Amino acid sequence: MPARDLVHAWLALLLLSYGTLLVASSGTQGSVWMAGGVLVLAGLKARVILARYLGLAASRFWMRVFDLVIGLFLAAAFALYLFGSGR
Amino acid sequence: MNHAMRPEPRSPGPDVLSELPGELMMWVLIASEILVFGAALMAFLAVRATDPAGFAANQALLDQTAAAVNTIVLVTSGLCAAAAVRAREAGARDVARRWLFVAGGLGIVFLVIKGFEYASKASLGIGTDTSPFFMFYFLVTGFHALHVVAGVVLLAIVAWADSVRNMEAAVAFWHLVDLIWVLLFPIIYVLR
Repeated sequence: MPARDLVHAWLALLLLSYGTLLVASSGTQGSVWMAGGVLVLAGLKARVILARYLGLAASRFWMRVFDLVIGLFLAAAFALYLFGSGR
Repeated sequence: MNHAMRPEPRSPGPDVLSELPGELMMWVLIASEILVFGAALMAFLAVRATDPAGFAANQALLDQTAAAVNTIVLVTSGLCAAAAVRAREAGARDVARRWLFVAGGLGIVFLVIKGFEYASKASLGIGTDTSPFFMFYFLVTGFHALHVVAGVVLLAIVAWADSVRNMEAAVAFWHLVDLIWVLLFPIIYVLR
């Protein structure tokens, strides 16, 4: 993998992490939007690591499989969060 | 016998397993670790549903800043580990070793920050039996920290036994540690 791709992946991870901090400190603690936002950002970070660091971008099939698994996990986490918050 | 009627032997279809980069067994490990940590985080959220206020009060005692710094440390370490593989594939063994030492060093930084985090909880008298929240907190983050320790050891081993295959496998494990952390961090430290 070209070094430029790796550095771009790293920058994307830093930006997404910064985004998580912004959402978490936005004064919307406990809101559905905050929870959904940080989980979506977590999914994007996981995708960057799988696609670029672990090289799954080379296989469309396996990228889709892992997208599905991570997506289902985060959707279930969000549903449990909503259930636990009485929404 | 009419050979012209015999069906042509089928050529094997595309083997999707061969599309996976690196060792197949490493991907089995990655998938199983995602399932194990995923189950633990689901259990955490299910127990949270029984006492959301108690979980929120306990979570307020966590150091989000230290955890955020650790996110940056781990993803940067992942970059260094990936750069090591790239250097090794290009035949630059010394460069690859240097990248591995930086990656492993950042792994140790992660563990030191985690150690301070645990020590601050201990100084408050907080342990695994304080509450269900802290039981999960210590269990999940502690199990992850053990993976970081194993990853640092693996990076040190492949800096010595530095075949491309060895290095790819160890670095894939290191990225797994990174992947688990980015899923664990928002659920344990942020969702309230």
